Amino acid sequence: MGKILIVDDTLFMRTLLKNILFSGGHTIVGEAGDGEDGVTKYKELKPDLVTMDIVMPKLNGIEALKSIKEFDPAAKIVMCTAVGQEQMVKLAIKSGAKGYIIKPFQAPKVLEEVKNVLAS
Amino acid sequence: MKEVPVKIQHNNEWIVVKLGIADDRISIPEPINKEILFRTITDIAEKKNVLIITVKTDTETVYKILSVEKVLQVLKKLILASCNAYRLMAYFMSPAIRGGVMVKDAQWDKGSVVVVSSGIWFVSATKQICVPVNDVAAIELTKRDVQGKPTDVIRIDHLDSGEVSSSFVLCPLSTLQVLYNYLRDTTKGMDMKGTELDSIDQQVAMLVYSGMDSHAIENMLNIPQKQLDAIYDKILKLGLGEVVTMRREIQLTTKGVRYISDATKSQTN
Repeated sequence: MGKILIVDDTLFMRTLLKNILFSGGHTIVGEAGDGEDGVTKYKELKPDLVTMDIVMPKLNGIEALKSIKEFDPAAKIVMCTAVGQEQMVKLAIKSGAKGYIIKPFQAPKVLEEVKNVLAS
Repeated sequence: MKEVPVKIQHNNEWIVVKLGIADDRISIPEPINKEILFRTITDIAEKKNVLIITVKTDTETVYKILSVEKVLQVLKKLILASCNAYRLMAYFMSPAIRGGVMVKDAQWDKGSVVVVSSGIWFVSATKQICVPVNDVAAIELTKRDVQGKPTDVIRIDHLDSGEVSSSFVLCPLSTLQVLYNYLRDTTKGMDMKGTELDSIDQQVAMLVYSGMDSHAIENMLNIPQKQLDAIYDKILKLGLGEVVTMRREIQLTTKGVRYISDATKSQTN
């Protein structure tokens, strides 16, 4: 089980992820509504894993991922993306993301991916 | 002609027969006594270990064949190669995504895609995967990264044992367009306008999709049970969902209140 930071600009998705991860026994240590806040909260909270949306205001998910990786190369980040953003996912993986989930997602698969990334 | 023992449904009973299998036909002995050319088979489906084939000559007849996996694999391979269906050579990846997560080690298989009236079959030397038409949630012409290049593919979202999975088909663009149109046509009955649900209804549907139960949905969206019930009714009416369990709310009787009061007392003593 891990301490998780959720970064997503929609409250709905944050709430959904929070519920899914909580039901899997994880602790949600924080939430951020944009990439910039996500980076700040990462430095402050030092979570075991971050779920990161890609399309966000201020700093997008890829830029936020790069900033976090600069600060902590061992950071475990799972990208959340919509269908059709496979190119972005490729870029994210190249930039150090450990995994990704595609919206809409199903709870058991999200928990499986998070478990795999936490164990990696 | 090779012979294999199978069970065939005849007059609502399963009877054991020795089924003859040739390259272009199967032969069912007495009491059915029928020779079936593969090219007369218009539909093939599989439920657990039962192969269901529809044969159309002057009339349409459905045969149900029960056997071990090895025998069914041979039968499916022969039938899918020659039956009356839309068939094309293609690369496919099935399943590629399950529940929003990429399937580890998913790779492109070289084989064929066979579309019959009840389903879409992905067939390769090692795989025979059927996606029933009724389980197809979406079909989309999209791009996917193949060997470093964005390439046109068809994405088929389908339900598989309660999970939403996605499969991809890759072939030349012109063929892809024909296949896409054909698949769209086959699954036309599932099409909707997209305006049937309002924003809150869509959020509820999305939460159901993600596996949330009624209690979690009420809490997450901060809506009362009555409102959620009304949204469920709408979703059910549109055929977008089905009832899995009925939730009950109860209140304690006097006997129940007394029981709990006594239990609390004994805990505090």
